Amino acid sequence: MTTELETPPNNDQELVARTQGGDPTAFDELVVKYSPRLYGLIYHMTSNHEDTNDLLQDVFSKAYRSICNFRGNSSFYTWMHSIAVNMTINFLKKRNRRQHPSLNDPDSNIENDPDFIAATSNGDPTKEVSIHELQKKLNAAMQKLSHDHRIVVTMFDIQGMPHADIAKILKVSEGTVRSRLFYAHRQLQNSLHEFKRKEGVTHSPGATP
Amino acid sequence: MSHEPMHRVIRLKRYEKPPEGYFDNFLRDFHRRQRAELLKPSLATLLLERLHGILGEIRVPAMAYAGATVVAVVASIAILGLPGHSQGEKPRAFAASYQQAPVTIPKMQPVSLRVDTASDPSASAFPPSFILNARPANHESPLSF
Repeated sequence: MTTELETPPNNDQELVARTQGGDPTAFDELVVKYSPRLYGLIYHMTSNHEDTNDLLQDVFSKAYRSICNFRGNSSFYTWMHSIAVNMTINFLKKRNRRQHPSLNDPDSNIENDPDFIAATSNGDPTKEVSIHELQKKLNAAMQKLSHDHRIVVTMFDIQGMPHADIAKILKVSEGTVRSRLFYAHRQLQNSLHEFKRKEGVTHSPGATP
Repeated sequence: MSHEPMHRVIRLKRYEKPPEGYFDNFLRDFHRRQRAELLKPSLATLLLERLHGILGEIRVPAMAYAGATVVAVVASIAILGLPGHSQGEKPRAFAASYQQAPVTIPKMQPVSLRVDTASDPSASAFPPSFILNARPANHESPLSF
């Protein structure tokens, strides 16, 4: 499976060096490159578009202010994700627990996804669930998870990051990442049992990260 | 226990995307925000401005600074110009005064003696007694008149 995050950080070092040398356009390139994936990370944690927008701006501002302290001990990709994760978790700790969600509409391509078809009809075309109903239930199930569990689900299941990268960003062992995923999936299964599809129903090729 | 079905369902959340053109505008918004942050004064600047404002409200007469300077100069001269203010000259002055005032020894007066033979007729049997005509100067009481 090809994910956005598997894109090698080819010219990150060069862009970072140029930014540290005082070239702000180099940082613009990093913003353009990393904003979609960091947006996804924050959005799936907060379930709120406006909060995500504000937080993403703050994340890049902080990164720009501290880029002179970046010594390259980790990749820029790991460093940026660490900033985003820490700021998001801090934000969620402060935010009112009963925050009203502000969800983005799913892309229309979802309707053609075999996993969507299978999940919404559950093998029975007469029991179809609307996109928005599915979205609402997925979101509610995600919000029931603790921050630690939600972040690994976001990074592994939704963004397709490998365990090793998640472990580096969260500064925990790979075993811890797997363990958190296991418990998070079990909790999600309890919340979304109605969408658990029957074995043998359509599998999209290469869907496993 | 396989979590593969759950993984596939949760993955559908990746279709939730921000409105069209969001990322095109994001960089522009980021620049705008950076400029706004540059214009926003820091806490230290705000404190300095506040302090300057408070000091500016205190009305001091124009000549007060000159008067205060004159008083300070006069006071400095008075303190520094006191005799013996300089510590280096103290031992020398003491030594000089010590040399200029030698110890005066009171002049010794000759003391006369006489033999008292009139008071006692049988005195011839005894050795004559001597009477001091004056008291020694160092035995004089300071309280005597």
